[in-house]
Amino acid sequence: MTPTRTRKRLTAAAGMATAAALALGACSGGGAPSTTSTGGGGGGGGNSGYTFAMITHETPGDTFWDRIKAGAQQAAKDTGATLKYSSDPDASKQAVLIQNAIDSKVDGIATTLVTPDALIPTIKKAQAAGIPVDTFNSGIDFFQQAGALTHFASNEKLGGQEAGKRAAASGATKILCTIQQTGSVALEDRCAGVKASFPNTENLQVNGADDAAVTTAIQAKLTEDKSINWVITLGAPQALDTIKAAQGAGRPEVKIGTFDTNPDAAQAVQDGKIQWFIDQQPYLQGYMAITQLYLYKKNGNVLGGGQAVLTGPSFVDKTNIAQVLPFIKQNTR
Amino acid sequence: MTDTLHDHADPELYKGEPLIEMTDIGKTYGAVRALKGINLTVNAGEVTCVLGDNGAGKSTLIKIISGLHPHNEGTMKVDGKEVSFSSPRDSLGHGIATVYQDLAVVDLMEVWRNFFLGSEMVSGRAPFAPLKINDMKRIADEELRKMGIVVKDINQPIGTLSGGQRQCVAIARAVYFGARVLILDEPTAALGVKQSGVVLKYTAAARDAGLGVVFITHNPHHAYLVGNHFVILKLGQAVLDKRRSEVALDELTRQMAGGDELTELSHELQK
Amino acid sequence: MSSTPVKTDPSPSAPAEASNRVTLGWSNRLLARPEIGALVAAVAIFIFFLIVAPAFRSPASFFTVLYQSSTIGIVAVAVGMLMIGGEFDLSAGVLVTTAGLFNAMFCYQLGINLWVGAVLSLVVCLAIGFLNGYLVMRTGIPSFLITLGTFFVLQGANLGVTKLVTGSVSSPNINQMAGYDSLNWIFAHEWAIGSVTLSITVIWWFLFVGLAAYVLQRTKIGNWIYAVGGNAASARAVGVPVTRVKVGLFMTVAFLAWFAGMHYLYNYNTLQAGNGVGNEFLYIIAAVVGGTLLTGGYGNAIGVAIGAFIFGMTSLCIVYAGWDPNWFKAFLGVMLLLAVLVNLYVKRLSTTRKVG
Repeated sequence: MTPTRTRKRLTAAAGMATAAALALGACSGGGAPSTTSTGGGGGGGGNSGYTFAMITHETPGDTFWDRIKAGAQQAAKDTGATLKYSSDPDASKQAVLIQNAIDSKVDGIATTLVTPDALIPTIKKAQAAGIPVDTFNSGIDFFQQAGALTHFASNEKLGGQEAGKRAAASGATKILCTIQQTGSVALEDRCAGVKASFPNTENLQVNGADDAAVTTAIQAKLTEDKSINWVITLGAPQALDTIKAAQGAGRPEVKIGTFDTNPDAAQAVQDGKIQWFIDQQPYLQGYMAITQLYLYKKNGNVLGGGQAVLTGPSFVDKTNIAQVLPFIKQNTR
Repeated sequence: MTDTLHDHADPELYKGEPLIEMTDIGKTYGAVRALKGINLTVNAGEVTCVLGDNGAGKSTLIKIISGLHPHNEGTMKVDGKEVSFSSPRDSLGHGIATVYQDLAVVDLMEVWRNFFLGSEMVSGRAPFAPLKINDMKRIADEELRKMGIVVKDINQPIGTLSGGQRQCVAIARAVYFGARVLILDEPTAALGVKQSGVVLKYTAAARDAGLGVVFITHNPHHAYLVGNHFVILKLGQAVLDKRRSEVALDELTRQMAGGDELTELSHELQK
Repeated sequence: MSSTPVKTDPSPSAPAEASNRVTLGWSNRLLARPEIGALVAAVAIFIFFLIVAPAFRSPASFFTVLYQSSTIGIVAVAVGMLMIGGEFDLSAGVLVTTAGLFNAMFCYQLGINLWVGAVLSLVVCLAIGFLNGYLVMRTGIPSFLITLGTFFVLQGANLGVTKLVTGSVSSPNINQMAGYDSLNWIFAHEWAIGSVTLSITVIWWFLFVGLAAYVLQRTKIGNWIYAVGGNAASARAVGVPVTRVKVGLFMTVAFLAWFAGMHYLYNYNTLQAGNGVGNEFLYIIAAVVGGTLLTGGYGNAIGVAIGAFIFGMTSLCIVYAGWDPNWFKAFLGVMLLLAVLVNLYVKRLSTTRKVG
């Protein structure tokens, strides 16, 4: 199978997915449309018979990882491979999961590199056993050291910087950056990025597990500091809460932008209540991580030219929301 | 002090009438045999003392009568009818009131709440009907005064009363709610001389008012001061079962198998 | 000694005993009430933040604090009652989310009116409450452990079932479905009075506190609750139906958790499957700060409400004061410790012996 045919396959798959999504969108009325989240018809890919393992540091319950998984599963389907997915937020346990994959003699391993020191030794063992490894999502500065084929990710700091610039461009005087989980390096990086390009940024820790707590905390902040006229949230639910908070604080003029998205937030962008969201395209990360392993096994292809392959940051605002909205609604972005 | 008893004691109690008759009662907990072949009769107007060392089976016997545990063997008749109690409420319903060694009071709750616990006065029959708080406070205060207990504040937590006073509150509660049989579980065990005296006097008064009293103790001296009938338990069986006329204090003490030796307590009771 | 007419003449020993008793003046009695310590702490914190946080000095801010307090306070009332009854429920936080998720997913998937789902959700929650109570009473295992188990089961189920049914980790948006408007009014209505937003949850909170206070102080069942918490064995011995009381308390927690869950659902429209985790401790903290003893048998509904208010006030006033939010949790912990200490000190004051 040549690369061109595979690429045609992928385009065909994407095309069918779009068509299916648009058709389904047209048919649904209030209540559940009878579609599932993993998107339109599979490309009916051949039967490569490969088994690939994907290991992440997912904390259960995060929509974000769901989409990565969905992409990986679709890629496995498209290439006729089997996907084994496992995760653990604890670094040493994640290393054990990688070891498990080596022991089960999989054909390729895709892993996140959130704690390089804990994971690189085990990754090297995989390579010594002849198993190719690529990385994605976190660890962009370490994938070369790990000897990974390539790295698919968005750059959190870059995303933050772009966000800061965009807010500045639409008249921000002071930005509030809300962090909904404690101790997450990725989230801290995002706000650090915003501050790098827009120094007058203040962080606010909020309890992402309780919408009332988030809403009232942001509302209190907007009341306390009237110079804040822009809020950048790091998760879609928090952006939706901020809409309420701004109303409650009597400051509906406050503008909102967010990282990541969900169907309601995407709709809010279309309605103009949220200015934009930044997408890492997690579906694409998962999809490409598995596809790269397939292509390497098949043809020895390597993407990236020694550099990471960026899947984001990709900004979606009112100008391009219309094309993207259907994909978000079916969880394939 | 004893007016309460006369006011509330069942007027239909005849002295000597058997209130509880236990025949060949036995109880096993799994593989452990706690009681075997116990025969006990509680008559109105009499004090039946149940003595024995720790582990003899006294508390098991009391739990059977008060409804905490059912018996495995034998029969128990209350007022001539065979019964087996499934819960303390059941036993209370038959007029058997137990005053426990640990007093069955809730220390943190006020005196009046404890007095009426389980038998609260409510206005109406709805589940959340209001309590008749003022009435309950008044009655509790009155009843306690009649017993010679003066609490400065009926709202104070019952834990602030002395041990003897708490005992008397518990006894007064049992009698007020129309008990026909009063079971006193080691009532003087934790008390000093004077307070023991108060409790013993009250026991005698209950007897005289016609109630049947079961007095559990490991103190033969106290038992002999008030008892009409004595039963000594040892390892779950009765080793002595005699009326007052058949046994002297020395023999009682000796039969207690030299368990707890009584020293410094010397009592005088005018009978 | 045996035939003294007693009606007017207490026995000679009584006056001697009375003089040894602790005299409890009215001020002592007032301070001994569980909620007074909490009230003192609340007033102190309130004044402190009025001084330190200019943004707190407006009615709008005060009502925001009330709203936040009410979302914790509604469930805290029941958790406090359960603690007075001598038990803990660690599953209350996730149960709130279970209630909302069930309602949303059931109705969305089957296209049924939201009211049906709300009622069914209540049935499910009450069943879980019953299960908690039944397991505790039947096995004799401490409620802390039983409800910890329930907590994990519900946390996993919230996530697993949501993913199974919707393919994502959040419930679908139900605001276009039949029944939404009326349910939204009952559980999430907001009145705008000038610059102030009054949320209906605050009114519900006050109502539930009032009901709980009435039941605890003025009914037979309230008496039983204090008794089973203070000394369950004694209560059982005098005929109080201990099992029924405790199971009933667990079911009350489940009911108010359902109620709070309905608020979150109809106010925020979608729920994340991981929501609610951590709130179970906030309910307990509100109760403890409000003067409820961890060992049971002591406390009251007003105190729990004040405790919830202290939490809401502290968590938001840290923001109103502009303090560094990275230290938020540390500040919150310090303020709560202070509140508990003030509480303890006030209670001690009330039991100081004044001989005379």
